[in-house]
Amino acid sequence: MSSEQPVELTVIARRAGVRIALVRRYLEFGLFEAHPEPAESPRYDPSSAARVARAERMRRDLGLNYAGAVLVSELLDRIRELESRQ
Amino acid sequence: MPLAYTDYYEVLGVPRDADQDAIRRAYRKLARTYHPDVNSDSDAEDRFKQVGEAYEVLSDPEKRERYDRLGANWREREQEAPDANFEEFFTRQGFGSDDTGFEFSDDLFERLFGGRAGDGSGWRTSGPLRGVDREALLELSLEDALEGGRRKLTLDRRDIDVNFPAGVRDGQLIRLAGQGGPGRDGGPPGDLYLRIALKPHPAFRRRGENDLDVDLPVAAWQAALGATVPVRTPSGTAQIRVPEGSSSGRRLRLRGRGLPKAGGGRGDLHAIVKITIPKHLSDRERELYEQLAKDSGQEAPV
Repeated sequence: MSSEQPVELTVIARRAGVRIALVRRYLEFGLFEAHPEPAESPRYDPSSAARVARAERMRRDLGLNYAGAVLVSELLDRIRELESRQ
Repeated sequence: MPLAYTDYYEVLGVPRDADQDAIRRAYRKLARTYHPDVNSDSDAEDRFKQVGEAYEVLSDPEKRERYDRLGANWREREQEAPDANFEEFFTRQGFGSDDTGFEFSDDLFERLFGGRAGDGSGWRTSGPLRGVDREALLELSLEDALEGGRRKLTLDRRDIDVNFPAGVRDGQLIRLAGQGGPGRDGGPPGDLYLRIALKPHPAFRRRGENDLDVDLPVAAWQAALGATVPVRTPSGTAQIRVPEGSSSGRRLRLRGRGLPKAGGGRGDLHAIVKITIPKHLSDRERELYEQLAKDSGQEAPV
């Protein structure tokens, strides 16, 4: 979907509008992963910024914890995928 | 900031004498239902904000009492000069109570009394955050999808000019950076994704992912003897050779005249031979068909 080049974690944080520590936290919980292509420093798909922001909105608004927000994110993605197959 | 009167009890669906537990339960349920990241209805975000605002007021005994007493005018008292509570708030927030010449901004008002500040349950933390990514449908005719162009869309009372490139596919997403929901507390706005939907076409029928079917009307003698005839394609008229001895239903392929493929290139257009006989024959035509019938025998071809 995104044809943009992979970016560094600081770019993800800036685009999501959050501190980098929060982005690292979501990374630990597996909300998104490093781009497989080797680079000097790890790179990430730019769409990760929207994923982080969405998880964080749900965490703040719905009283979820980090694991819960990541789980709901994955379920939402699966629902969308299933719906798009119809 | 819209200050239209809304019945907060109605918004949360609780009776006016509901206790705090009932209000909290109703709020949590509705927040889950209408959260714009979970619910893709176009009015979900507005409903969610309304629910948050209702809870903000009804969950705070002081605000609730004022709301019950003053109804639509419940905010008015708060716009008067700061009292002790204000003083305390500003000190906590890091505003000195000395003469800093601060201004009472809308944003600050919203943080004090709007729906976004802490709700006492320890759920919310503040800080900048990117806005919601939105998705909207962009319905295009087949010709427009192939040629590209621009459209003016109205989303959330905003007009957005959209340029879509030539060769967009059905179901494709076009990203418009920064055109989604507004960011929170100074966070960047989300993106808008336009999902392309091809409208059904009166002449062309989809066949699989990238191919199209179109009817090719030909006269009986053209089908029998062979002929070069015009065929409608999505990008204008082309000529196609109908081989001799073609029956109705025969598929003639025009390579690369179908829909754009995901990896580049285009699918094929299939012209389907459809032998068309005029309803009324001239005397001469009738004579010739009778001759033909006599010479071929009366039986239908196998």
